[in-house]
Amino acid sequence: MRPAGGFRQRTMKRPLILIADDDAVFAASVASILRMRYRVRTAVNGTEALAEVENDPPDLVILDVMMDHMSEGFDVARKLRTDPATALIPIIILTGVDRVYNLRMEVDESWVPADLYLEKPIAPDELLQAVESLVGPGVPDDE
Amino acid sequence: MKSSSRFRGAAAHPVPSTAAQDPAHPNRFSFIFASELRERLFWFCNLRWIAVAGLAVAWFIGPSLGLPSTRPSLLEVAVLVAAYNLVFVALLRLRSGSTPAYHWLRTSAILQMVTDLSALFLTVHYTGGCASPALPFVVFHMAIGTIMIATRIMYVLAAAVCCSAAGLFVLEHVEILERHPSVTGGSTSVMSCVLSTALLVILVFGVVYLTDSVTSQFKLRNLELYQTTTELRRSLEERDLVERRKSHYMRISAHQLRSPLGTIKTSIQVLLDGYLDPGSDEGRRLLVGTASRVDSLLAIVNDLLELAKMREGRVKAPWARNVSINQILADIFDAADPLARDADVELVPHFIHEGAAVLDWAVPPDLVYAFENLIHNAIKYSKPDGGTVTVALGIDRSHATVVVADDGIGVPGDLLDDVFLEFVRAPNAKHMEAEGTGLGLSIVREAVQMHGGKVSLESAEGMGTTVTVVLPLHYVPPEVTDSGAAVD
Repeated sequence: MRPAGGFRQRTMKRPLILIADDDAVFAASVASILRMRYRVRTAVNGTEALAEVENDPPDLVILDVMMDHMSEGFDVARKLRTDPATALIPIIILTGVDRVYNLRMEVDESWVPADLYLEKPIAPDELLQAVESLVGPGVPDDE
Repeated sequence: MKSSSRFRGAAAHPVPSTAAQDPAHPNRFSFIFASELRERLFWFCNLRWIAVAGLAVAWFIGPSLGLPSTRPSLLEVAVLVAAYNLVFVALLRLRSGSTPAYHWLRTSAILQMVTDLSALFLTVHYTGGCASPALPFVVFHMAIGTIMIATRIMYVLAAAVCCSAAGLFVLEHVEILERHPSVTGGSTSVMSCVLSTALLVILVFGVVYLTDSVTSQFKLRNLELYQTTTELRRSLEERDLVERRKSHYMRISAHQLRSPLGTIKTSIQVLLDGYLDPGSDEGRRLLVGTASRVDSLLAIVNDLLELAKMREGRVKAPWARNVSINQILADIFDAADPLARDADVELVPHFIHEGAAVLDWAVPPDLVYAFENLIHNAIKYSKPDGGTVTVALGIDRSHATVVVADDGIGVPGDLLDDVFLEFVRAPNAKHMEAEGTGLGLSIVREAVQMHGGKVSLESAEGMGTTVTVVLPLHYVPPEVTDSGAAVD
């Protein structure tokens, strides 16, 4: 687990969250939940997610696991962690794959580097709490 | 560093090699289990210690009972037998750590028999030749040998024993060898020796024949038991493998169903909790997306049912006689025309003037499903600026070959081996067509195999895909044969 104070709360700007999921409808739902307090961008696979990170580094990345390839989300997480420019960006793995392959879904940098593992489907409140714990409460729409 | 692989597969259970067969006569009575032969050889060695003890006792008390010829000759034989028995035991123990080699054990058994018989003839010589009380032990040895050694070898040994006995008695009689008096005082006259030799010949061959008659049945049952056990073990392993595959398939299927269900639940929750107004444009888009996930869920369920139906080998599958592939392809082409026009794809039929391909037996709905799937895939995965889909039919005396070729996006090389597996979809196909169950080609393969045919796929990413279906024209399905329907 990375230190709780590791997030970079931007006071002047709403934090940017990148959602990488090949299920566009799910990504749209998650985006709807977060958009009330954060800026949101989406990507449909790992390659697109890495390009987005390079163009405009987000404050948090939410990754699905099985996208174009079996463990694409894990691969993206490892790449982000090993690149000094992106190593401090918090990562949430949001997946349903753990039930299929009995994967060990717990925070462990030596296994898959992520700050949190969340299971699909997720309740909006639970998602907001998790995001808030990593990037702060964000800024409501009307501010 | 922990391993990143979390996929666990059960280790295969190898069948232990507990037996070996005589390669020259794999199913003859000479068959004997290697492990069993090793046990018998140990037992034989233990028995030999009793013989050593008997010889030593005879050497010790013989003179006090007035028996001649027991000193020091029997002690020499006892020491000789003890010495080679130690060697045999040591060799057997050395080999006991590893899986015993049948040929080695068999050679060892023959060697022990020959050595024992040699020691026995020495004893016979020292204890009165043809009048020796040790002669019955020769017969006893032959019985033991027949249990352990192949019968044909025992008959050779029996002949050798008879010749050796006759030779010994002759050499003693002509006094080339020293003649020792009989310990029991029996006659060593020529007639007695001839009678002893004749009796020995009858008993030695008789005991080999009788022992073989009895033990061959046991050996045969042993072999049958071994074969049955091996078959049983193999079928249990196969069942275990099928169960594991079923379990894997169920898990993957459950995931494929759970994934859209999770999306639907999250979308509904977003709308219910007021994160989006269902009446807004964004809310409406989410509802439309959610509805499409319900459709894909239904498509998966339908495809799973279709696949299950084909795999079950339906007893009441609608098998029909004389089904025309030309007609099926023509119907599909007509129906696919609007889809092709939308995708700017030209459909090229090469099956109209190629002759009639008529299957003796077929399930028309399943064949329609298979060819429709292949042709629709070829259209769906054409390049964005359109392309050409060619369906060709080839006929020979026994087979019809249907080739569906496109110049579309193709399949990535690393997925070519897996495209017929359930739920496998190439990333480029997913980008092109988000909705898709990943079951289509599995169903195609199942349908083709159900008709006794084969399907193969060749593809190069960005270049196109060619699927070839070969169907036998005169295939008779087991369901039809089993039901007793008339088969021409």
